[in-house]
Amino acid sequence: MTKLLMNRRRFIGTTALAGAAVASPAYLRRASAQGSGEVNIWTYNDFVPESFKEQFESETGIKVNVRLVDDQGKQFNLLAAEQPNPTVDIMTVAGHRFLQFIDSELLAPLDTSRLTNWGNINPTFSESDWSTINGEKWGAPILSGMEVLSYNTELVSQEEAMTWNTLFSEKYSGQTAYIIQDMMSIVMLKLGYDGNMVEYMDDPEKAAAIVEEAKQFLIDHKPLVRKYYDSGAEFQQMMVNQDIALGHSWNGPAAALINDGFPLAMTIPNEGSYGFVYTYNVANNAPNVDNAYTFLDAILASPEIGAAMTKASGFISTYKDASNYLTDLEKKSTSFPEEQLANLQFFRAEANEMKYGLVDPAVEAVKAA
Amino acid sequence: MNRRVELNRGNRIFLACVYWAFVLYVFVPLILMIVMGFKDSKFIGFPIRSWTLDWYTGVFSDAEVLYTFGYSVVIAILSTLISVIVGTWIAVLLEGRKFWGRAVTFGLMVLPALVPGIISAIAFRIYARMLGIEPGMGAIIWAHAVHNVPFVTLVVMARLSTLPKSQIEAARDLGADPLMAFMRITLPYLVPAILGASVFCLLLSFDDFVRSFFLGGYEPTLPVLIFAMLRSGMSPEINAIATVALVLTAAIGIWAERFTRRANKESQT
Amino acid sequence: MTYDASVRKDRDGHTAPSGDRPFWGRVANWGPYRAFSAILTASPRRQFIILAAFPILWLLTQHLGPMLQMLRVSLIDAYPVAPGTPQAFTFDNYMRFFGDRIFWQPFFRTLTFAAVFTFCTLILTYPVAYFLARHVSRKNQMLMLLLLLIPFWVGEIVRTYAIMILLGNTGAVNLALKWLGLIDRPIPFMYTSFSMGIGIVYLTALYMLLPLYSALEKLPQSMNEAAADLGAGAWTRFRRISLPLTIEGISSGCILVFLISTGFYATPVLLGGPSTTVFAETIAGFFHVAGDEWPTGAAFAVIMFAAALVITGVFQKVMNMLRKGDTK
Repeated sequence: MTKLLMNRRRFIGTTALAGAAVASPAYLRRASAQGSGEVNIWTYNDFVPESFKEQFESETGIKVNVRLVDDQGKQFNLLAAEQPNPTVDIMTVAGHRFLQFIDSELLAPLDTSRLTNWGNINPTFSESDWSTINGEKWGAPILSGMEVLSYNTELVSQEEAMTWNTLFSEKYSGQTAYIIQDMMSIVMLKLGYDGNMVEYMDDPEKAAAIVEEAKQFLIDHKPLVRKYYDSGAEFQQMMVNQDIALGHSWNGPAAALINDGFPLAMTIPNEGSYGFVYTYNVANNAPNVDNAYTFLDAILASPEIGAAMTKASGFISTYKDASNYLTDLEKKSTSFPEEQLANLQFFRAEANEMKYGLVDPAVEAVKAA
Repeated sequence: MNRRVELNRGNRIFLACVYWAFVLYVFVPLILMIVMGFKDSKFIGFPIRSWTLDWYTGVFSDAEVLYTFGYSVVIAILSTLISVIVGTWIAVLLEGRKFWGRAVTFGLMVLPALVPGIISAIAFRIYARMLGIEPGMGAIIWAHAVHNVPFVTLVVMARLSTLPKSQIEAARDLGADPLMAFMRITLPYLVPAILGASVFCLLLSFDDFVRSFFLGGYEPTLPVLIFAMLRSGMSPEINAIATVALVLTAAIGIWAERFTRRANKESQT
Repeated sequence: MTYDASVRKDRDGHTAPSGDRPFWGRVANWGPYRAFSAILTASPRRQFIILAAFPILWLLTQHLGPMLQMLRVSLIDAYPVAPGTPQAFTFDNYMRFFGDRIFWQPFFRTLTFAAVFTFCTLILTYPVAYFLARHVSRKNQMLMLLLLLIPFWVGEIVRTYAIMILLGNTGAVNLALKWLGLIDRPIPFMYTSFSMGIGIVYLTALYMLLPLYSALEKLPQSMNEAAADLGAGAWTRFRRISLPLTIEGISSGCILVFLISTGFYATPVLLGGPSTTVFAETIAGFFHVAGDEWPTGAAFAVIMFAAALVITGVFQKVMNMLRKGDTK
């Protein structure tokens, strides 16, 4: 018995020592590699194409450290916890969340005169109304996403998919899913209101009444929904498993399914929808500001880089002419007919404080209902 | 006598059925996961139309993934060592001893286990900055170690409470001082509990996402990498990584066992 | 507990016993060790202080320190804020919970779910642990236990997605049922409290299994045999012998599983349905979705913590009473 015990104790000891001995030198080397000549980036998987990264490093000698993030909220929290001395130079923020970062003094205004390739961005994105706040630009647009209605083409017709109402119809009871926060804005739009709530900034009572109406709509239709989901991966899995026949989603995850050959299509329904833009932003008090601008200018240099980002993420490139570098299927999964695009508007941040002050509790109420 | 054997057999068959049903329950999802790693598609799920080894060759040709795996293993082992020592120490203090403030001490002890992940992660992050701990490997080990202490203490306390007092007293009567009695009687008695607790700690650390994310630097641990990859879909690639990690962990475990067994034999001769 | 006997012996110059293994004897007789031991055992009080000093220091700096930060955040009106912005002390973040019913439901649901899932885990794993500890030969025990540990090395997220492709409409179970001709249309297992339970029990089973196993494993076989010789049936033997003697393992496993279940976030979010929101999700909402409502999130976490602590405490008290009642 005691011999066995001795075995076990030593077993743990040797494992730890061996593990540490085998692995630690490499990590120490890596950790101490920090110094001058680097740029630190927080971004989503595949938003910095690997081939671009290698080329950039070899040409400029600036080491690119990518830290992968998986959601906007965590990124905000991490940056807030690090201020006033962040470890990051460039972050990836969704345009309609700028205001939150700006109000907490986490972002530095973008000096576009330092970016010779700024003109390579489609003006739809670089000069749009959401992109200028307090008279400054805050980020370089790289990819654009939108709220779409995605449907399994073997189960749902395109005609049905042209209205958000199908998502709330008895016919597809238990076969639908949506992101509830996003759906609040869409339901407001569908009911004929401004889902950005900019129109009601001077009329908080009207705003509250509208959110209440949207909330009641979602509560009334709660028995019909299969799942309130959070991430694109969940949506894709529900589609693959045929747990749902149609749902609200972002175009990126839906495009990835289409590119993989899944019988899926998406529409911007007639009632309209919202779009958003991912941007690269320079952090306030960033440790390597000059390298950050060098990096931004380089990544904006060629539409091919924009196309590579689109291939990896399924979101639409903001670069001029990026679609020239896509395959036909990729083009199909990242473009919409003109008449549908006419119904699209961008999320705006001006009224966010009032809007989310009302929407967040409403979301909790819908979940609790 | 015969009757007893009969009863035992009935029981035994029933219990064996439950055991194998349980094995089925825990293994079917595992097998599904492994199978999906060979699916020729960017998404997991049925039906599987064609198969491929690409995801596996991808894992082995990508040094980053294996590197991340090693990084996570080292973090798990080092944080477990700290948790086990501290946790056992606290258990010895708390079990069977009455002192002023024991209830408060107990409450403090379980605190890290009770705080929701996201909050504990942010709290650790702020506190780390206060203490001047740089984000990175050391910070992750520290956070995992603190978080896992309650699990060790609870398990060790349970075992400690069943230690026959007579054994300690016998050792004392023979003149052993308390430290010697602890090393020779208590500690060996605690070994199964400590081993079990180590398994918990290794698992908790190896699988932790939120603390690793907030306290880590630019190198992801395996769960952080998987979460980031999940953004672009639950692809068979993630399953392949998980499978490779599983096989490698098992291999390390078996190797370590063999190694100690051999070392032990040599020391005996 | 007093150590007078040993202390006196040490002072009289007696040596500690040299046991079967010379190593320990040598250590015990080694000068520095004896000096150390003399300091250690000078008085029970000093011994306690030496024993307690490190744990208390650790608990205060490592366990309490980070949480005090959060407690502070839960009592101010805005955080994170830009440097230089004044912050005011307030109880509003706590009042928000008590003032709004919509938060109570996920709160009580979490506690109920945690209790129910803990019970399910116990019911499921007790026979497994019992079988392993009592009906399997020593040699195979380790092997069969290790077999059960394998699936737990796969991360929570990967395992959770595996459960999705197990229970989905085109998942393995539905495919099998269809192939057997038992159903025409798939059964919607997913996104219900059922799928959530399957996922959570899957994650927690290990934390119950190991304490139960270690409790059952040291149960003397002779006791059962004696009872059987006296004519006690299987159920009586289990109820009167196995159960009372393993109550410590049961209680330790239940506390572990309960604590872990209240904190689960990813699994309930991924496997649950529209009406299974848990409190961890509510709390995370204040950090993730809103991003700038840390004070409320922190206050809610403190409330959850207090509730879980009270329940664990009551549970321990009850278990202690049961144990004492049985040994009498």
